[in-house]
Amino acid sequence: MKIEKEPISGQYGKFKIDGIDYRIYWEEAGQGIPLVCLHTAGSDGRQYRALLNDKKILEKFRVIVFDMPWHGKSSPPENAKVGNYKLSTDFYISQIMSFINGLELVKPVVMGCSIGGRIILHLAINFPDKFRALIGLQSAGHLDPYYDVSWLHRQDVHGGEVCGGIAYGLMAPTSPESDKFETMWHYMQGGPGIFKGDLFFYKFDGNIGNEIKKIDNSKCPIYLLTGEYDYSATPEETKSLADTIGIEMIKMKNVGHFPMSENPKEFLKYLHPVLNKIS
Amino acid sequence: MFKSLIEKNEKRSQLSMMAQYLNTCFMISTIEHEYLVNIEKGVVKNVEEGPFVMPSYVFKLTAPKNEWIKFLQHTPQPGSHDIIAMLRRKVLKFEGDLHPLMSHLLYFKLLLASLRPAESKNEN
Repeated sequence: MKIEKEPISGQYGKFKIDGIDYRIYWEEAGQGIPLVCLHTAGSDGRQYRALLNDKKILEKFRVIVFDMPWHGKSSPPENAKVGNYKLSTDFYISQIMSFINGLELVKPVVMGCSIGGRIILHLAINFPDKFRALIGLQSAGHLDPYYDVSWLHRQDVHGGEVCGGIAYGLMAPTSPESDKFETMWHYMQGGPGIFKGDLFFYKFDGNIGNEIKKIDNSKCPIYLLTGEYDYSATPEETKSLADTIGIEMIKMKNVGHFPMSENPKEFLKYLHPVLNKIS
Repeated sequence: MFKSLIEKNEKRSQLSMMAQYLNTCFMISTIEHEYLVNIEKGVVKNVEEGPFVMPSYVFKLTAPKNEWIKFLQHTPQPGSHDIIAMLRRKVLKFEGDLHPLMSHLLYFKLLLASLRPAESKNEN
């Protein structure tokens, strides 16, 4: 039987992050300008499966997606315990920079969604000269809690069920059901407390106030794209962020919080022109 | 408005499988009207419309009627497409013991969404 092989290859490597060894898994495809993609809170790199298979993008870009420590196929560190995972801004920055340095990537483009859409703002503030461009999907400068996140990790509630239920609602009713299901499935497979631990960054530690004004788009071009059905990082919040930076935002119709995963076909219509500009 | 949760029951065997250990009673309120929904083993057994004198329930979902109408469109607009989206806009209130709701969150989302018309019509 002949199978349809995808152009993606996966690899493991040991990276030192803040002095501690982490076994990290990443996938890549294509050649050219490095494009490092960051997945959302509580999920993993499979969210970028469509990008890693998009012939047009792979002609000019080397698309690289890593699973954050504790996520997907990446391991927790040695002596890890369940329940004490909390993503801080500093640790998130450290893992991205360790990954980029470890792979010896020179001036990559970094694209992140949700927590990834937030961290690219921190990268723009702290290391504008290190990147060719930064792309924020579902970016907002801050987020005030609007539901009790303790439900995401308690022993009398199945974490996969509740995290999947939360993720499902963040998607557009117009997105294809099979892609929505897969996006939700990734959430259902997350480890106990990991989604909640990531949200510590998203809702508390990673909030940016006036520091947004430090972002200089002339040093590193920033692109912001947000799906209209996202109620976590709303188009209005991205617009306010874009206004502060002094750039235009792109509002994506018919998608929600996970554009690259819940409706790749629709998302790629918006992403291709952005990548054309960057290349 | 929510009486047909029971009428559509037959079509929901797949959904019931997602909540086969769930037995609960919850209230849906449009402020003007109240509906008491009884669930046994994931199956909606009864929907009673108020007014009630001393209703007994585990948790309650309250939103104005116009917000429920927006939620129940075939293709709801952003912000009306999900109960947590409505919570975020502060037009829906969760009250009571939320354990049955949160431990079966997707089930309740799909249960309420099952009231949406199968075909798009009369959308404003």
